[in-house]
Amino acid sequence: MITVFGFEGCPYCVKTKRYLESRGVEYNYRDIELSAEAAAECQRISGDLTVPVTTIDGVNYVLGFDKKKLDELIASA
Amino acid sequence: MKERIHKDVVIIGAGMAGLTAALYCGRMNLDTLVLENAIIGGQIANATDIENFPGLASVSGKDLISALQRQTESFGAVIDEFDEIERVTLKTSPKIVETQEKIYEADAVIIASGMNRRKIPLAEGRKFETRGVHYCELCDGHAYAGKIVAVMGGGNAAVDAANFLTKYAEKIYLIHRSELRADEVSQKRLFANKKITVMLQTEIKALRGDKRLEEIEIFDKVSGVTKVIAVDGIFVNIGVEPNTKLFSDELTLSASGRIVAGEDCRTEIAGVFAAGDVREKEIRQLTTAASDGTTAALLAEKYLSKLHG
Repeated sequence: MITVFGFEGCPYCVKTKRYLESRGVEYNYRDIELSAEAAAECQRISGDLTVPVTTIDGVNYVLGFDKKKLDELIASA
Repeated sequence: MKERIHKDVVIIGAGMAGLTAALYCGRMNLDTLVLENAIIGGQIANATDIENFPGLASVSGKDLISALQRQTESFGAVIDEFDEIERVTLKTSPKIVETQEKIYEADAVIIASGMNRRKIPLAEGRKFETRGVHYCELCDGHAYAGKIVAVMGGGNAAVDAANFLTKYAEKIYLIHRSELRADEVSQKRLFANKKITVMLQTEIKALRGDKRLEEIEIFDKVSGVTKVIAVDGIFVNIGVEPNTKLFSDELTLSASGRIVAGEDCRTEIAGVFAAGDVREKEIRQLTTAASDGTTAALLAEKYLSKLHG
């Protein structure tokens, strides 16, 4: 299952979620402003709090909105 | 093989100008597609508090654009924010807008591709991008809760960014190479906030750090003193550049890289209009972008009426 780390006011987080929805891809959404645990997990994965961070395994991730990389991630799911 | 699709109007860019044009085109029953390569709303999507849009005392860019998007879509215009434009051919009839997935044949094209923030002109800028160097306060400001940040620039966007970042950061340096150009209301807020230190006539000379930005070297042009200050991040607000790369082979661009078109938004190619910040003009405001979108849509409809007899 794909997980997106983001927060509500982040335009590229919203775009990433909309893209996954447009592709019919199910995902977990974790808000780093509402959950300290989600923020810590996001930071562990990417080393930073810049979002969106999209991941499947918590190791490989896509930072920001990158359609090509998201497509590769979706294909590997 | 890419699918070929005909449209009455293709609008390039979903900022204020593009969405307004789409709203008018939709209301005139034109088959309208809006293509956006980045964020719906463009630059304005990042604005935290808009206080100069008539009729709205205070509104966030996100709320204003969401309302406009809903209004636009309710009149039939379709917005695609995922299928990126690869190339355009404007001098043919129909005009061709080729995306990653499709080829659109459009009778009229409205270019409202807006602007991008100018990148920091320092070699280390790229190295630290998203690792301390940022171009979106709204997106990345939250990562600096309790930390020290700098804002580079002296216009409205920079001053508003510094004011916004006080929500998170413990200390903010606003650093600008000359005098502030921001409006009085924003400057008043800036100087009233104890978290912000304003450093004018000061140039940022270097960015330093190991894996991420740790400090910046600044030069005080008045005293001639160079010093280093520790910062966790820097938000760059040193102006914008027009998004005109796709059109530079076919349309005349001004010295600043904007599309040359009159107040009627008509370019040198019949059926091609330029609207909003991407058009060369003296005043670029949210209201003038809406005005351009309106003009371009109405004149595009006139053009199409003549074209179709």
